[in-house]
Amino acid sequence: MRCARFPAPAFPPYICTMLVPTPYKLMQQQLWLSADRCIFWEEEKTLIVSDLHFGKTGHFRKYGIAVPQSVYKNDLQRLVHQLQYFQPKKLIVVGDLFHSSENKELQLFCKWRNDFPSLEIHLVKGNHDILHEDWYREAGICVWDEELSVPPFHFRHDLGEAAPISGRYLFSGHIHPGVRIKGMGKQSLCLPCFYFAQNFCVLPAFSEFTGTARIDPENGDAVFAIVEKKLVQLQ
Amino acid sequence: MRPFAFQEEAWQHIVHGRSGVVNAPTGCGKTFSVFLGALINFINAHPDDYKTRSKNGLQLLWITPLRALAKDIGRAMEEVITELGMQWKVGIRNGDTDIAERQKQKRQMPEALIITPESLHLLLAQKGYPQLFQSLRIIAVDEWHELLGSKRGVQVELAVSRIVNVQRQRSNRQPAVWGISATIGNLDQAREVLLAPLGTKGELVKANIRKDIVLESILPDEIEKYPWAGHLGLKLVHKVIPIIQNSRTTLIFINTRGMSETWYQSLLTAAPDLAGAIALHHGSIEQELRIWVEEALHAAKLKAVVCTASLDLGVDFRPVETVIQVGSPKGVARFLQRAGRSGHRPDEVSKIYFLPTHSLELVEAAALKNAIEENFIESREPMLLCFDVLIQYLSTLAISEGFIPEELFPELKSTYCYRDMTEEEWGQILQFITAGGTALQQYDEFRKIEIIDGVYRITSRRIAMRHRMHIGTIVSEAMMKVKFVSGGFIGVIEEWFISRLSPGEVFTLAGRNLELVAIKDMTALVRKSNAKKSIVPSWQGGRMPLSANLGKKLREKFNEAFEKKYRFANTTNQPERGFDIELQVLQPLFKLQEELSHVPRANELLIEQIETKDGFHLFVYPFEGRLVHEAMAAILAYRISRITPITFSFAMNDYGFELLSDQPIPVDDSNVYELFTADDLLSDIQRSVNSTEMAKRKFRDIAVIGGLIFQGYPGEQKKARHLQSSASLLFNVFSEYEPHNLLLRQSYQEVFDQQMEEVRLRQMLQRIQSSKIVITFPQQLTPFCFPIKVDSMRENLTSEKLEDRVRRMQAQLDR
Repeated sequence: MRCARFPAPAFPPYICTMLVPTPYKLMQQQLWLSADRCIFWEEEKTLIVSDLHFGKTGHFRKYGIAVPQSVYKNDLQRLVHQLQYFQPKKLIVVGDLFHSSENKELQLFCKWRNDFPSLEIHLVKGNHDILHEDWYREAGICVWDEELSVPPFHFRHDLGEAAPISGRYLFSGHIHPGVRIKGMGKQSLCLPCFYFAQNFCVLPAFSEFTGTARIDPENGDAVFAIVEKKLVQLQ
Repeated sequence: MRPFAFQEEAWQHIVHGRSGVVNAPTGCGKTFSVFLGALINFINAHPDDYKTRSKNGLQLLWITPLRALAKDIGRAMEEVITELGMQWKVGIRNGDTDIAERQKQKRQMPEALIITPESLHLLLAQKGYPQLFQSLRIIAVDEWHELLGSKRGVQVELAVSRIVNVQRQRSNRQPAVWGISATIGNLDQAREVLLAPLGTKGELVKANIRKDIVLESILPDEIEKYPWAGHLGLKLVHKVIPIIQNSRTTLIFINTRGMSETWYQSLLTAAPDLAGAIALHHGSIEQELRIWVEEALHAAKLKAVVCTASLDLGVDFRPVETVIQVGSPKGVARFLQRAGRSGHRPDEVSKIYFLPTHSLELVEAAALKNAIEENFIESREPMLLCFDVLIQYLSTLAISEGFIPEELFPELKSTYCYRDMTEEEWGQILQFITAGGTALQQYDEFRKIEIIDGVYRITSRRIAMRHRMHIGTIVSEAMMKVKFVSGGFIGVIEEWFISRLSPGEVFTLAGRNLELVAIKDMTALVRKSNAKKSIVPSWQGGRMPLSANLGKKLREKFNEAFEKKYRFANTTNQPERGFDIELQVLQPLFKLQEELSHVPRANELLIEQIETKDGFHLFVYPFEGRLVHEAMAAILAYRISRITPITFSFAMNDYGFELLSDQPIPVDDSNVYELFTADDLLSDIQRSVNSTEMAKRKFRDIAVIGGLIFQGYPGEQKKARHLQSSASLLFNVFSEYEPHNLLLRQSYQEVFDQQMEEVRLRQMLQRIQSSKIVITFPQQLTPFCFPIKVDSMRENLTSEKLEDRVRRMQAQLDR
C-alpha cells in the first residue's frame, strides 16, 4: 500500500509515417507543406527546412545533462524520409543547421551526408551556426552569410528588421513559431506551425528538441498548426 | 529559571546516548532541551577540564530550515557557553556564510555548527568530509515538522544516513539524533522517519505545555446582506482598523500574495493615518525591503503588517500582540502556527481574530475552535522515493569521496524515503547517471559520473562546480526584476505574469500601482501610475487545499448547526449555551439553505440538482478540499458520461464542486452510490484526469533538482545559452523517447500523491459509501452553492481526440 507506484501512461513508440503533404500556392509557385516540418518547392525541386539544431542532444550530454539521443537520431531519419519522398536536388537550410560547437554527433551527420553526395546543401547562416568555414566546406555545405536569393523567394534566418524586398517573398526561421489554441475555460495548447504572412513566412523548427515562441497572426495570414503528425489550417 | 520537566527528561535521554524527538511549542525552551543536553554530555565526559578544553572538533550539528533563525540560535548558545565558562565555539554555515569563514571552519570545526540542509549537502560535497564528522556526538534537527513532508526533509534523511555510517565505518560508534518538532498528527511517524538510519526506535519527549489561544470571529453586521463570496472580506475592513489601533502590533495573514496587495491598499484607503505605520510582506517583495519590515517589527516601529505565509515561520516578533487571519487558514496546524505569532511567551495568551471572506467560512472558525480544543492537528506525510533528490545526492557524493554502489545501496535502504526502492530502480538510476539513458553508442559523449576502479566519481571540474551551485531542492519560479525607469529596485515578479502584459498596462506590486514601460535584459522597467484600475497578479502558490482534519470538523459543525437549529426554533429564542456564536449568526443562512435544500449532517453527503438558464447544475459537497474535489469532479463526470454521452464544465472550491451541462444530468437514488464507488478508482483516474498536464507542471521542479535543467551561473552566460531548455520541452522529449525514465515517472507519482491526494480521495469515497446521500432539487441557487459559482474555476472534460479538439477550438483562435 505504502509505495503503490502510479503507472505513467504508455506512449506509443514513434512510427515514421508519411502523410500526404498539403499543397500551398505562393507567388505562382507550387509548395508542399509537410507535417514533418519542412516545405518542398516543386518548381525548383528544393526542400526548405530551418532550425535543425543538429548536435544539440550531444551538446547537452557532453555537459552531463542526459537528454535521450534518440531525438537526434529520429530528426535525421525524418530528414532522410523527406529526401526520399520528395527527391529534391537542393536542400536550403534557413539557419541553425547545427546547435553549437563540434561534437561526435556531427560525425554522424557527416556520415549521413556522404549517403547523399548529389544533394546540394545551402545554409543561410543562423545565430547557432558557429563552426569554422573549413568544416562546412569539407561537409559539402554551401554557406551564405546573411541571405540567399532564389527568385521569387528570399531566405534569411532571422526575420528581424529586414526590409521587404519588392517582388520577393521572404522565408525565415529562428523563432520556432507556435500558435496558441485556446478553448473554453483554461484549456490551451501551443503547437508548432507554419506561418505565412503577407510578404514573409516563418518556418517551424525542424528539430523536435526545440520549444516554441507564440506568434500573433493577423487577419489574412495563413497558419498551419502541426497536430500529431498532421497539418491543420487554422486560418 | 527552573527547567521544564520535558527538558530534564530530554537531558536524561541524551546523557544515556539515546536518540528521539522532542515535541514542544515554540517559545518554551525547546532549543535548550537538546543544546544543554549536548553540553551536559560533554561535561560528563570531561568532568575535570571541560572548562579549558578547546578545539574539540565538531560535537553538535544543528540543522535548521531557516537561515534567519541561525543567528538568534547561535547567540543564545554562546550566552550559555559563556555562562558556563566553557571554550566551545559556535559556527554558522549557510548561503550567507562568507568564504573566509568557511575556510576557517575547514581548518578547525567549531564545536557547534548551525547549518541548513542545503549547506550540509555542500559539506558532503567536500573532499575529506568523513573526517569532519568523526568527533560528532549529536545531530539535532530543528523544526523537523517543517522539513518532514518536503524534499528538504529527504535531504536531511540522506545526510543523517551518511554521517551515521561514516562514524560506524571508522570508529564503530554512531551519533545520537534528535528532532525538535511542533505538534503534528503523526509524531510517531516523524520520529520513525528521522531515526530510520540508526535502526533504533528512540524516545518521544512531550512538553505537555498548553498554550492558551483565544479565537474571535469578526462578524458582519447583517448576515443576509453580506456577500456570499468573492469579496475577499474587504467589506469588513472598517472593523479591522480599531483592532489595529488598540494593539501594539498586529499581523494580518492573507492567503495569497494578490489578495495581500489588495488588502494593503484597502487599509490605507480606510485609514490614511496608518500610512507609514503599516507594511506589506510577501515572497515577491525585494528581500532588503522584507528584512527592513522584519527589523521594524522587532523594534515595534510598525502598527501592522499585511503578510502571507512568508511570515509563518522564523524568528519571534515580541511586539506582536494580535494576529488576524483573513479567509480560511485551510488547516488546523497552520492556524495554530499563525495564532502562535502573537503572545509568544509561554505564559502569554495568543489572540487571533478570524475574518471570513464569505459567510460560510464562519463555520470554519467554529470548527477550528473545536479542533484546537481536541488537539486535532494534521499530519505531515513524508515524501517517498524522490529519485530527483537521490540523483542530486549521488552527484554530491561523487564530487567528494566517490561512492561504491554495493556499499551505498543498503545505506540508502536504511532511510525511510528509499526503503522501498527496488534493485531494478537502483540499477536504472546508476545507468542514468553514468550512461545517460538512451544513447547512440560511438557518437555519444555523455559525461557525468565515471566509474574508476569500481568507485563512482565526478572528475570534471566544470561539472563539479556546476553541481555545487545547484545543490538544493527549493525551485523558484522564473522571476523577473521590477525596476523604475529612473532607477530603483521594487521587487521581483513571476516571468509568466509579466509576459502576459503589454507596455502601458498597470499592475500592482509591493503596494504600488506600476505601469509597465518595457522589458529589457530580464528586467521589467516600470513607472508609477495613478490609474484607478490595475491588474493584481494571481500567484499560483498559496492555493492550499482545505485539510482533511478541518474538513471533518466542518462537517461536524454543520451537523451541530442543523441539530441545534431545531431545538432553537422549538423552544425559546434564547441561544443555547455552548452554541458557537458563528453558528448563531449564520442561522438565517442555514434557514434559507434548509428551506431551499438541506443542511447536511456529519454522516450525509449533500447533492443538489439545480436548473438555471445556464444549464443543468449538479453540486456535491464532500468538504474535502479543492484538490480532491477537482479530481472527483473529473472522475464523476467520466462515470456519468459512461451512462450517457454528455459534456460538462467543472467548478470547485474547498467545500464542494459543480458539474454543469446543457442537458439533464442522470444522477438519482438508483445510481448515486455506484457513481461514488471506490472500485476501479485507479483506472477511472487515468481515463478522466488530465494527468499529463499536471505531471508536466510537477516535472519542472524534478528536472531542476535532478540536474536536467541548467540554470547557468555568473560569468558563463554566453556558453550556457546553448544549454538552455524548458522543463516542458524536456518532458515532451522524455515522454516520447524515454517513457520509462524514473524522473518522468516520479512526476506522475507526485501528481497522484499530492495533486490528486489519491489516499484521501479513496478514503472520501469509502466514507460516502457508508453514509447517506441526500439528493435535493432546489428551485434556485442555494447559499451552499453560491461560493462555488463565484469561485468558478472551469475545466472542460472532453473525451475527444486532440485533433478534433483543435478543430473545434479553431474558431476561438486566441489572439
